Amino acid sequence: MRFLFKTDYRQDVRLFRHNGQRFWYGLLLLLVLLAPLALSDFYLGELALVCIYAIAGIGLMLLVGYTGLVSLGHAAFLAIGAYAHTWFISHGWPFPLALLKASLITALVGAVVGLPAMRMTGIYLAIATLAFAAIVDQVITRWESVTGGFRGMLVPKAQFLGVDLSGSVAFYFLCLLLLLGCMVFALNILRSPTGRAMNAVRDSEISAQSMGIHLARTKSVAFALSAGFTGLAGGLLAHRLGYLAPDAFTVLLSIQLLLMVVVGGLGSLHGVIFGALFLGLLPQAIAMLRDALPPALGQVPGLEPGIFGLILILFLVYEPLGIYGRWLKIRQYFELFPLYRKATWKRQKSYLRTERMR
Amino acid sequence: MKGVLFKAENLNLSFGGVQAVRDLSFEVERGEVFSIIGPNGAGKTTVLNLISRLYDVEGGGRMIFDGEDITRIAPHDVARRRIARTFQNTELFEHETVLRNLLIGRHVHRSSHLLSELFFTPRVARQEVDFRKIAEDVIDLLDLQHYRNQVIGHLPYGIRKMVEVGRALCIQPRLLLLDEPSSGLNPEETEDVAFWIEDINQDFGATIIMVEHNMKLVSATSSRVMAMADGAMLTVGEPAAVQSSPEVARAYLGS
Amino acid sequence: MEFTQLLISGISQGCVYGLIALGFVLIYKATEMVNFAQGDLMMLGAYFAYTFVHILNFPFVWGLLATMATMAAVGALIERTVLRPMIGEPPFAVLMITIGLGFLLRAIAGAVWGSEPKSITSPLAGGVVRVDGVAIGYENIAIIGGTLILSLLLFAFFRFTRMGMAMQAASQNQLAAYYCGIPVKRVYSIVWALSAAIAATAGVLVAPITLVDPMMGFVGIKAFAAAIVGGFGSLQGAMAGGLLIGIVEQFAGLYLPTGFSDTTAYVLLLLMLFVRPEGLFATMQRKKV
Repeated sequence: MRFLFKTDYRQDVRLFRHNGQRFWYGLLLLLVLLAPLALSDFYLGELALVCIYAIAGIGLMLLVGYTGLVSLGHAAFLAIGAYAHTWFISHGWPFPLALLKASLITALVGAVVGLPAMRMTGIYLAIATLAFAAIVDQVITRWESVTGGFRGMLVPKAQFLGVDLSGSVAFYFLCLLLLLGCMVFALNILRSPTGRAMNAVRDSEISAQSMGIHLARTKSVAFALSAGFTGLAGGLLAHRLGYLAPDAFTVLLSIQLLLMVVVGGLGSLHGVIFGALFLGLLPQAIAMLRDALPPALGQVPGLEPGIFGLILILFLVYEPLGIYGRWLKIRQYFELFPLYRKATWKRQKSYLRTERMR
Repeated sequence: MKGVLFKAENLNLSFGGVQAVRDLSFEVERGEVFSIIGPNGAGKTTVLNLISRLYDVEGGGRMIFDGEDITRIAPHDVARRRIARTFQNTELFEHETVLRNLLIGRHVHRSSHLLSELFFTPRVARQEVDFRKIAEDVIDLLDLQHYRNQVIGHLPYGIRKMVEVGRALCIQPRLLLLDEPSSGLNPEETEDVAFWIEDINQDFGATIIMVEHNMKLVSATSSRVMAMADGAMLTVGEPAAVQSSPEVARAYLGS
Repeated sequence: MEFTQLLISGISQGCVYGLIALGFVLIYKATEMVNFAQGDLMMLGAYFAYTFVHILNFPFVWGLLATMATMAAVGALIERTVLRPMIGEPPFAVLMITIGLGFLLRAIAGAVWGSEPKSITSPLAGGVVRVDGVAIGYENIAIIGGTLILSLLLFAFFRFTRMGMAMQAASQNQLAAYYCGIPVKRVYSIVWALSAAIAATAGVLVAPITLVDPMMGFVGIKAFAAAIVGGFGSLQGAMAGGLLIGIVEQFAGLYLPTGFSDTTAYVLLLLMLFVRPEGLFATMQRKKV
């Protein structure tokens, strides 16, 4: 058990609370930086994808976990980021600027989507985002001059100042660095007034207003930030895919993003990382499962989403805190050994109160 | 410091067919503790909701705070003018810790903007420490040290009420609206309430408008009392006078 | 002439949306849970009907009744295993679990019945009624008629029976409902059974026209939009929303370029959310603090 002796308020404000945290995260960072020495190109590519998912996950988590606004159409932001970035690069913009502009454009769209959000609650907003995603899909398919419509759009190779960023090691480091940057930004937001305002809006809109929080502005900012992060991920995803087409950004992808956030553990950035790992490695696991199962089961076309659905159900019913929650429980078991109590984590029996009176 | 801090003129509000507040006018002086009493349904909480702009005043009624007409300002601008409130059934941020709830109360004093917060500049860090210092002052006043890092969801009712008040105090309000601060509390806790109302009024220098049912608390803390029934004012004056008024007795006991 | 034809098609399609939306709203009204798998329940219903009528060779009407009974059981089973643990959890979690359920049901349907589309031939197949030169298929009449009957039955159920009131109570304040002696868990099971049976009926009515395949449940998303347009929480609203979207969709198909009619439901939805978020028949109220 660790006892922290605090002498300064700044200790509570800093990113790392104590040296133990610095040590372990430092070690993790080292491992991650040295990964190219041990892993093959294929796995580096997979890890890069995990980083991309994680960046998108940070965006989604900010919206869903921290502001309480559900988005069922987040793949649309990935699409906007991907297409915008590719368009800029194809028109001569240098890589970092193209990525930045794509991210900003997506953030702007996010802010616009967020505008009606102040009038809608919970499920209505979720459906509206679904509708928004369907419309974005239509726009991409029909705006052929920019997006190439059904024929799609070829993504130029990533390179900056003559350095080729498309090789697996370079791309991996690119995605990793951007992920680290995004994590720092997200953590900064969360420990500052903006983050608290977002949490307040999630928990009680009425008292948030009484505390001087501008509801509409906070929701718009949340949407904009969320879209911005996701758009950045979209730009990176474009390079990973190599070729963009409307059917790469479906409702299934939106649900997978949500799956990542829920299974990883809602409400924490650790959860995002766990979820991204889960989402990135799941297709491999399913492929292996497919081979192991008899053909009648293994060749079913809807198997992958079916397994997603099953996992989602199992997690929500048995481990609503997600993988991160399970990790915390395990860690606490060891920290408090032999004094660990299962009851600490026991879910309070809660009763339904209608949301129709708000 | 004397003078009128808050003035309500001809407030009217109805819900469907029910007239909740009926042509109500009153004044609150700077530095006083002004209580509103009356039977259930008298419209007391509605008055607080009108002042904090959760409801719109109907008709031509006006509310004037420190010389400024606040009748049509947005709900989130109320706190900016340093008017804070508590809610009858605590409306806290359930998934956050006590400390973060209090820190949210500092929101109106924020001088940073999104971009600087994204990079967490030294100025933002310093602001965080400043906010923390004020929050700790409030924690000291209300004896919440043990609960600092606990999530609201698991706290007992009495403590939640304290956190609710604490959060309002972090705004450093000039006017504090308390909605039934003693409801649900036992006699000892209610005595504590009397003490910290006094502290808030004297040390923090806040003017207080309080809706209350507990007459002992009202007599102990208030400078003036207004009695309401059926949305209209019955009488206003010193606590003793109001409580012994026959009209007030009739309103409570029926005729 | 074409106008009437489109109108009839629109009403018929709208009835299908409306029936599924009814199922949504039923569950929402009673349990305040949003069931994203409603369309997939319809799909399962259609498959069961196919099994009863074409594999087990039941007569059509018996097949329909057997389907409704089976799906009622399935609905109750789903409630018991998947939704019961979610009582009291935030709405988002419930939404996610029903989304997961939808995926699972589709996979199971694909595994059990194969992904090749199946068709159900109903005794009404092919027959048309000619009114004023307009041809109305028997199937369409069956859909519209069946929907009317179901709607009236449900309306009466909620208005006049104790169970109906118990359902509404349980959805507004569960703890209070318990204290009033309402067997909340049993009520929830009945609601889900009922809703699944309605979805199954929609599936059976529409199967002769469209084909039965695992993806047919996607019409549920449009039905969802219908429920919101009508005002989530209102049974009349669900029907009204469904009819509105069904009719507008048909006319959009005529006047707008191809492919746009698909987004009609979404555009209507967004319009309604902007202009009147509570929907046509509002049920949301302001909380008093």
